[in-house]
Amino acid sequence: MKFLDIRGLEVTYLGKTKPSLKIDNLIIEEGESVLIVGKSGSGKSTFINTINGVIPNMISAEVKGEISVFGKDPRRTPIFDMSKEVGTLLQDPESQIFNYTVVDEVAFGLENLMFPKEEIMAKVEESAKVVGISHLLDRETNNLSGGEMQRTALASVLAMNPKALILDEPTSNIDPEGTAEIFDLLRKFRDNRKSLVIVEHKLERVLPYIDRVILIDNGNIVLDILKDEIIDKSEELSLLGVEIPEYYFYLRKTKSSFSSNLKGFVHSCPPRFSGNVLVLSADVKVWTKDGKNLVNTSLSLNKGEIVALMGRNGAGKSTLLKAIVGILDNKLKSNLSLKVEDKDLSKAKLWERGTYIGYLPQNFDVMFVKRTVEDEIAFGMKARKNYDKAKLKQFLEMFSLQKVKKEDPLLLSMGQRRRVAMASILASGAKIVFMDEPTSGQDWYHREILGREVQKLREIGITFLIVTHDSRFVDKFCDKVLVMKEGKIVLSGKPEEIFEKDEIEKGFGIYPPTEYQVKKYGSLEFLI
Amino acid sequence: MVPWNFLYENPLSQNIISWVIFFYGVALPILLILWIIGLKGFMEITKYEKGKGFLYKMNPITKLMLSVVLMGVAAVTVWWIGAILTLGIILLYLTMNDGVRKFLYISLLTFTSIIGGMWSVAPFTPEATLELVFPDPAKYTTIWVWPSYFLFMGYEPQLTLQALIYGIQISFRITAVLSAALLLVLTTTTSDIFRMFTKLKIPQAMTFSVLVGVRTVPRIFSLLDTSVKMQFMRGLGYGKSRILYPVYYLYAGIVAIVPTIVYLFRGAKTLAISADTRGFRAYPGRTEMKTLGFCKYDYVAFGVMFLLIILAVLANVYGFGRTIPYVGY
Repeated sequence: MKFLDIRGLEVTYLGKTKPSLKIDNLIIEEGESVLIVGKSGSGKSTFINTINGVIPNMISAEVKGEISVFGKDPRRTPIFDMSKEVGTLLQDPESQIFNYTVVDEVAFGLENLMFPKEEIMAKVEESAKVVGISHLLDRETNNLSGGEMQRTALASVLAMNPKALILDEPTSNIDPEGTAEIFDLLRKFRDNRKSLVIVEHKLERVLPYIDRVILIDNGNIVLDILKDEIIDKSEELSLLGVEIPEYYFYLRKTKSSFSSNLKGFVHSCPPRFSGNVLVLSADVKVWTKDGKNLVNTSLSLNKGEIVALMGRNGAGKSTLLKAIVGILDNKLKSNLSLKVEDKDLSKAKLWERGTYIGYLPQNFDVMFVKRTVEDEIAFGMKARKNYDKAKLKQFLEMFSLQKVKKEDPLLLSMGQRRRVAMASILASGAKIVFMDEPTSGQDWYHREILGREVQKLREIGITFLIVTHDSRFVDKFCDKVLVMKEGKIVLSGKPEEIFEKDEIEKGFGIYPPTEYQVKKYGSLEFLI
Repeated sequence: MVPWNFLYENPLSQNIISWVIFFYGVALPILLILWIIGLKGFMEITKYEKGKGFLYKMNPITKLMLSVVLMGVAAVTVWWIGAILTLGIILLYLTMNDGVRKFLYISLLTFTSIIGGMWSVAPFTPEATLELVFPDPAKYTTIWVWPSYFLFMGYEPQLTLQALIYGIQISFRITAVLSAALLLVLTTTTSDIFRMFTKLKIPQAMTFSVLVGVRTVPRIFSLLDTSVKMQFMRGLGYGKSRILYPVYYLYAGIVAIVPTIVYLFRGAKTLAISADTRGFRAYPGRTEMKTLGFCKYDYVAFGVMFLLIILAVLANVYGFGRTIPYVGY
């Protein structure tokens, strides 16, 4: 039986004149695993929401053409009926979890579908076992790591025993260890021949578990290939914003396949900048009221450097940033010695620290308190009584925001919103910028844009400290890596020095770009 | 005559101070609570945490019924019964996980609710109503005299000590219910509330909306906290006097509401999709993985509810049960 059969599909959102998705013909057989790639906004989410019936049943849109999912038309089938055929796992684990305990979350769908009590328990235990969370069943969902949360959400979907699974960027918001846990499950699903549609940016990691790759761009399927054809199409994929490891181009050039010897592959690192003017030095200690040390470390930054702060979740990275900028949770106690450009800011108030250090949180949307872009950027200047129209214009130009200066920042695209946030903190006078996981949940195209922006700002003397798990971004755009473990910075060096260390994966939860493993093993066997 | 009578007798100081009282009076309860417990404190007082006390073992239906009974009793009896009930409920917070902290938070929240309640009643209470409580107007103590144009806003010409006392009495109707409702939220998981509401045949969509709200409230305070801090980092309050800091804090909190709500709405959409793709509303009812039973504490609570109802009846019979205006201060 066919899992998916689409003919002449056109999906047009209300108020739009042009369709956001157009598919002439697409068939996915039962048991097939398909990877969907493409830039943000290309139509990937529209595609999967059309399969599971969210469009048009929950999100209004006109859906023309023929669509059949296991013989059912999702437009005419209630979502709860479709959910028995197709399970959906979404991107953000925190937003999709509703219940307080893991066991309640896993049982949620079964209770909705009126399964008898005994059957619910049996199915909960079975699906928890499959995703490896049996030991977590009594835990509170809000205390789980990102990976554990995502596995809990997946167990809840699997408990309903769907014939197919849709995984919408399941690893975008979780750490590398959580990502590895999810990918391990893909292997199991593939072994059981469950139909899979995966939207994922980490192509090289997911490749062993799929049969086929579909590239969507501008609402159209522009490439539909078997995974073995990826090497031939690597240029094309890369041009359309897909994250392609360097050795794919090497394989293409040498007309090799995935099983070929890669000993000749050389990974070239970009030049790294090394600053020699100390701009920030800090000694930070943060502990809980019951005396548990969360951070106890020293940090120094040189002018113009782009420094990545890496390490496992819970290592103390975000706490370190918050302690320095002065926005720690008031339940925590801290001791801080902070010097920026020879000025002692240890006891400085928030607005004074903000003159020197800008902080971009992961949820930077909550920064936008003004209703136009130009007002938002001018906010800091006006508050500090140094508003200057020419300077505002300069910021609008520097961040390519001239055309949207009268628009509400909250209504802009993700990339534009991030640029407004960045411009706003720099307009406040900051010369050092702390960023908390800025690449989380973004495709390679947008991560590359961010990397280039950061490098451009470095040219004018801005220093960056970026908390991230994104080793490819670090390798390509950062000058230095600091690794935190149990509240201390324990390793420091150029990205290549850190990524080449043997214990980096198991000891520190950092997964280097696969180029480093290829260089080390001379083949791709480590991925299988 | 109060010692500061010269201030309201002079038109200039009368106008200035009246407007300060007007604005600060509205903002004071909010400022007080923000200053004392902070936005993160709000988060703690609205979020369920696992615990071992008897409140966590009780059936959610019992807790809901208790809240309803308390609301009824506080509404139909004299003010001090409401005050005693409030005290009784907030003492129960000591039995919760991290009880002392929660007790302090709820005490402060109750205190500020009393101030807020008082302030929303006192300036508007006509003398005719006050006379039913305090029969001799000659004994009234004038605290402040408003400028004549304040009458257009519904203010009485004078603010008296008796009006303030009356305002405090009225506020005890709110505090008993508020502390009982928070007690339910703090000791019951969203899943159990969902099961309970389903049993009570409350439509699932309505229950889900309420629970998304319950689940979201702590997050709102956390995000507001981040947004407020970000504004101060960007220079809000730069170079201003410390005395204005609370005003800036309040301003920052108000303007942070829009981005916070927009951010949460984006997350709410994900939650709605996640729920619907897991069979939510497939049938009018739901089955239960675990059956919520009644334990000895529930039976004790039923006994307490019964006694409260008897108390309300007796209070009314013996003249302590009149609704607005109160008698028997």
